Amino acid sequence: MKDNKKLIITYSFIGLFIASCSSVQVTEEAVYSDSVQSIEVSSSKAYETPTESKALFANATVYFEFDKYNLSTRSIQALKGVIELMKENDSIEITIAGHADERGTREYNLALGQRRAESVADYMVLKGISRSRLTIKSYGEEMPMMQGSNERSWARNRRAEIN
Amino acid sequence: MKKLLIFLLIPNLIFAELLLEITKGSDNPYRVAIVPFEGSSNGVNNIIKIVKDDLMRSGEFFVLDEDMLLSSPEAIEDINPAEWKLLKIDFVIIGKVVDENSSGLKATYEIYDVNRRSKVRSSTVYGIPGKIRQLSHYISDGIYENITGIKGIATTKILYVNELIDGFGSTYILYVADSDGANEQILLKSNEPIISPAWSPDSKKIAYVSFETGMAKVYIQDISTGDRDLVLVNDHQISSPAWSPDGKLLSLTLYQDGNAEIYILNLKNKNLTRLTKHYSIDTESSWSPKGTKILFTSGRSGSPQLYEIDLTKFNTKPKRITFEGNYNAKGSYLPNNEGVIFVHRSSQQFQIALKYFDENFIRPLTESKMDESPSVSPNGNVIVYAITDDKLGMIAGVTLSGATFILPATNGKVREPAWSGFLR
Repeated sequence: MKDNKKLIITYSFIGLFIASCSSVQVTEEAVYSDSVQSIEVSSSKAYETPTESKALFANATVYFEFDKYNLSTRSIQALKGVIELMKENDSIEITIAGHADERGTREYNLALGQRRAESVADYMVLKGISRSRLTIKSYGEEMPMMQGSNERSWARNRRAEIN
Repeated sequence: MKKLLIFLLIPNLIFAELLLEITKGSDNPYRVAIVPFEGSSNGVNNIIKIVKDDLMRSGEFFVLDEDMLLSSPEAIEDINPAEWKLLKIDFVIIGKVVDENSSGLKATYEIYDVNRRSKVRSSTVYGIPGKIRQLSHYISDGIYENITGIKGIATTKILYVNELIDGFGSTYILYVADSDGANEQILLKSNEPIISPAWSPDSKKIAYVSFETGMAKVYIQDISTGDRDLVLVNDHQISSPAWSPDGKLLSLTLYQDGNAEIYILNLKNKNLTRLTKHYSIDTESSWSPKGTKILFTSGRSGSPQLYEIDLTKFNTKPKRITFEGNYNAKGSYLPNNEGVIFVHRSSQQFQIALKYFDENFIRPLTESKMDESPSVSPNGNVIVYAITDDKLGMIAGVTLSGATFILPATNGKVREPAWSGFLR
C-alpha cells in the first residue's frame, strides 16, 4: 500500500491579469493492488457437555437483573440441588457459562456474563465445592436463550447456565 | 412490459450486496458538476456514477445531475464561468479515460474553481485491469481532498460481522468491503460467534474475537494470506483487541485474574503489562491517536463509564471522562484527539454520542433505539455504527456535518463495523 507511485507537486504561478497567486495541485498515482484470502473454521462441538450430565442439571439456570451480577434468593435456591449433587458425587465437574441480554455493548456484556458465572462459582466455593471442579466462561450477548427485543426475552437471556 | 422488467430486476439488486443509501445530506454542500468523461471504454459512465455517489455520500457535496449541464466543455480553456455561476456551481470537473489494455485504465481529470476562475488540480490515476471501482474511488478522494482540504475515505474499507440464521443455527461471517459497501469479501466464516474486529494500523492485518474453541479468544489474521494465530495461549477467555498506532502493541482484556482486566501485549516478545487492577469490569480499550493514552470502559463507579489512563505517567489513577447517564461504553478517540465517541444510554435508548474534551456535555449523534459499535473514519468525518432490531441488523453512518446514510442488510444481522486506516 505504501509502495504506490504517488507524486504531488504544487506549482505556483502568477497570472498576468490576476493580482493574487493561484496554485494547481498536480498529482500522479497508481491504484494499489490488494487481495483477500477467505478462510473457514468449524468448531467440533466437542466442548459441549454430554447429554447425560446435561439432563442431571437441566434446571440449573440462574437469572440476573440488568447490568447486575449478584445472586438473588431465588437463584440460590436453584443452586442448592447442584451443590448437593456435586457433594454426593466427587467426579462431577461443571461448566458455568454466563450470558447477558442484547442491550449495551458486546464486550461489556462479555465481561458481565463472566462476572455472573463468577458469582455462581464464588457461591459454590463458599458452600464447599472445590474451585478446580468449576470451569467458567461467558458468551456475553452472543447466545440468547430467546430472540426478541423485549423485557420478556431480555429477562430470560440474563443468565448463567450450569452444565 | 416496462413494469415487468423492473419487477424482475429488483430482487437481483437487493441480494447482490450491501449498497449504500443516503438518507440525508448536509445543509450547505460544495456544489460541483462533473462533465461526462471522454473515452470510448464502456467503464467510463460507471466511473462517473461511482465518483458522484462517493461525493454525495460524504454528505458535503452536491453533484449536479448530468442532464442539467448547459454545456460539456472538453478542456478547462472552453469553460465559460458565467454559465456555471448561473447554475450556482463552485467547481467543474473535466476528465478523460484511456484504455491501456493490459495495464488497465488510465484516468486524467482536472478541477476548475468557478469562483477563482482557475484550474486548481490536474491529476492522473493508473488503474488495475478489472478494478474500475478502485480507480473511481481514487478520483473521488482526489477531488474531495482538493476541494475540502481533508483526505478522502472513498478508498478505505470497513470490516463487519454478519450472523445468518437458518433452521440449523447461526453462521457468522467476518467481511471486508469498500467503504460504500461494495466489493464484499469473506475473511472468516465460522459456526461460532465472531466479535470485536479491529484493523492493524497498516490495514494489512486484523484482530478479532472468535468463539470457535467454545471460549472467547483473540486471533490475528493476515488479510492477503489468510494466516492466523492465537495472540496468547492460556485457559482463560481473552477479548477486546486494539492495536497501538505504531502496530507494535495490542491492548487486550484478559480474564485470568477472575475478572476483566486490561493488559498490553508486546506482539514481538509476547510480554504482558497489566494496566488495570480493580474488582469491577475493565474492558473495551482503545488507543489515543499518538498512542500515549488508553480509553476504556469500567464499572468501578457502579455503572459502565469511560476512563482514560495516561501511559506516559507511571501508576496514575485512571481519569473519568463521562458523567452523564448510567451507561457510557465502547469509546474511541477522534483521529484529531479532540474528543471521544461512544455508546450512551439516555432513558431507555442506546445511542452513539460524542464528547469533545473542551466541553462538559455530550452530543448525541444518533436517534435509534439500540445503536452500538461506533467506528470513526480515518479522516474523522464519518462514524459508522450498528443498528439492531428484532430481526435484522444494519450498518448506519453519520457525518459530523449532519449527513446520514445506511448500508442496508441483504439478510442476516450485520454488526460490529470497523473502519480501516487510509489505504491510498
